[in-house]
Amino acid sequence: MSTNLIETILLIEDNLGDARLIREMLNAQGSTRTKLTHVDCMRAAEQHLSEHTVDIILLDPGLPDAQGLNTIRRAHAAAASVPLVVLTGCDDETLAEQALQEGAQDYLIKGQIETRPFLRALRNATERKRLERLKDEFVSTVSHELRTPLTSIAGSLGLLMGNAAGNLPQPMARLLAIAHNNSQRLVRLVNDILDIEKMEAGRAVFNFSRVEVQPLVAHAIEANRGFAEGYGVRVRLEDVRTATDVRADPDRLLQVVTNLLSNAIKFSPADNEVVVAIEKGTDIVRLTVRDHGPGIPVDFKSLIFEKFAQADAGVARRKGGTGLGLSIVKQIVDRLSGEVGFADAPGGGTIFHVRLPCWDHVANLATDRDTKSGAARLLLCEDDLDTALTLRQQLRQLEFVTDFAYSAGEALTRAVATQYHAILVDIHLPDSDGVSLIVRLRDLSQYRETPIIVISGDPSRGRDDLRSSKLNVLDWLNKPVDFDRLVRLLARPAAREANKRPRILHVDKNNVVARALGEIGDVITVNSIEEAKRALKAGDFDLAVLDVALAKITSPDLLPELRDSKGNVIPVVVFSADGANLASEAQVRAALAESHTSIDSLVATVRDRLALRSTRLSREVL
Amino acid sequence: MTDIRILVVDDEPDIREVVDVSLGLDREFEIRACASGADALVMAAQWSPSLILLDVMMPLMDGPATLANLRKNPQTAHIPVLFLTARTQTDEIEQYISLGAQGVLSKPFDPMTLAASVRSHLPPAGDHPS
Repeated sequence: MSTNLIETILLIEDNLGDARLIREMLNAQGSTRTKLTHVDCMRAAEQHLSEHTVDIILLDPGLPDAQGLNTIRRAHAAAASVPLVVLTGCDDETLAEQALQEGAQDYLIKGQIETRPFLRALRNATERKRLERLKDEFVSTVSHELRTPLTSIAGSLGLLMGNAAGNLPQPMARLLAIAHNNSQRLVRLVNDILDIEKMEAGRAVFNFSRVEVQPLVAHAIEANRGFAEGYGVRVRLEDVRTATDVRADPDRLLQVVTNLLSNAIKFSPADNEVVVAIEKGTDIVRLTVRDHGPGIPVDFKSLIFEKFAQADAGVARRKGGTGLGLSIVKQIVDRLSGEVGFADAPGGGTIFHVRLPCWDHVANLATDRDTKSGAARLLLCEDDLDTALTLRQQLRQLEFVTDFAYSAGEALTRAVATQYHAILVDIHLPDSDGVSLIVRLRDLSQYRETPIIVISGDPSRGRDDLRSSKLNVLDWLNKPVDFDRLVRLLARPAAREANKRPRILHVDKNNVVARALGEIGDVITVNSIEEAKRALKAGDFDLAVLDVALAKITSPDLLPELRDSKGNVIPVVVFSADGANLASEAQVRAALAESHTSIDSLVATVRDRLALRSTRLSREVL
Repeated sequence: MTDIRILVVDDEPDIREVVDVSLGLDREFEIRACASGADALVMAAQWSPSLILLDVMMPLMDGPATLANLRKNPQTAHIPVLFLTARTQTDEIEQYISLGAQGVLSKPFDPMTLAASVRSHLPPAGDHPS
């Protein structure tokens, strides 16, 4: 079977003329096997991709609900494994280039597309995507497969070195040391390749906490003492005068310090000193590593953080480097919301510096002090500071006040201390997953009905857990967050006073379910159609729950009455204690009919419907 | 006092041997090894090791499945299990711990400190049923 066969295409294009051209080109080729689905906005595309698999996506990056790079990111997030071809205007080479960096396989310039090259581009894009996937799998498999024999080799050599080397004649001991050193280097190389691959694929998990920099650096220096001695280099930590706590992942920060140290040690001449200093600025902590090496050649300076970049490959090999160390440093520091750079040291050598946000600063940022009276306060549970700050900035323009919680623990503490109008939860948090956090929030009586929106960097993770309607999640947004959609979601809950309980009209002859429903809203139970009509006249309801037996008899009469005072149809959940099929389904018209066998699932469905209703209304409002 | 019994489970004979010698550096360890999850279940029940060092990727019954089966049997449910794995990414470690493993050691390991790492995961003396 050809892996290149394209059977399903998703075309995301709001210009109907362009869409027709594409369709005609496909038809001209005479392929009846290729099915083209056309949608005209990002939202519809995401919906389609969540329900169907497609072989390739054709994307116009200028859509009514998403523009430019954001469109490409969203398409990529919705279907990371599907090849993506971007359709750009003729003056948009920059965007086309960015598109390729963001994961698109190719771009076509509108107005210059011809049938044959068009089809070839689609095939090439598919093939390119396949090769990318193969490469990723290959890197990961090879790295793991390499570790198994490497474990035996490095283990055996390590044992010999540890126990027997002293008793061996000189030439043999030396050969053993060479084998041992190189096995260690191979281990480092495999680890580095895996690290880089994982970070580039966005799969690296960071666990942020409060980290004291000084002991961590001292530990790194101690751990590298033997390595430094091998080069005849001393490492000295300058006195640290103030507390220097940062917000970081301690293991990753240790990796940063270790890589910078080993770099500095390797390039220092023997009998020299590497000096490490830690200083505190207003909002940041600055770590510097100074060596007395030959310095970085001018034309290499722009390449220094690139993968496998080594100024002099021969020297680097002699030094035992992997060419990945600084590239890993850069990737990690970026994720830590920090900054890394270097400069020529006065008197020769190089100074590398890393700046990281200090703990107090980050902790202070958590409370939004830009308070306007009457502004709705939101809680954003997100451990990535950059994402959090960006969202706060955007939300501020809409007069929302946004507090941060960097962990699930913090989120619960804050939620108890302050009543929030809505909560945004990143599905990955350092101390717990977002799903568990939502479960615990829902256990708090004051947050039983508060709108909760999930934000996720990984479209696949946790999504199934959230289907459990008990969590009552309003919506799920992928990163980068589609801000317009977020605003639409927030519009209603924020405008609504906090804690308003939904009103449920419960039409039933026996009362077993009334108490269960009472947990999620104010329930008015009636047991005849006349009573129901009276209740409807007396006040608005958010939802009606009908027992199926009663519904069969009453629905033709009652259903037209199920409207609120503005004439909006009230959603209906039909409940069947015996799980019988609903003969009345047709009669229930546009309203929802489902059959259920347990009270739990009834309650879950009611929650779902209520959540859906508030989403839908917020869209109508806007 | 009696020896500390360590059961090593790994499908790679070379790794079993290197682990055996590495752990042997601790004179109080008595070590046995087997090559599959199924053998591990039998041996754990018969020999009552103090701790099991368990490979993750094995054919037929992998490490997590072996752990689940050990936990099901009252004779072996209490035995601490350490995973020894070539796949140690943070999220995977969390996942193994959530399965009930005592800890995760990564391959390749430092043979000179492996015994000490294993020892640090042993329950305090007299804490486990004989």
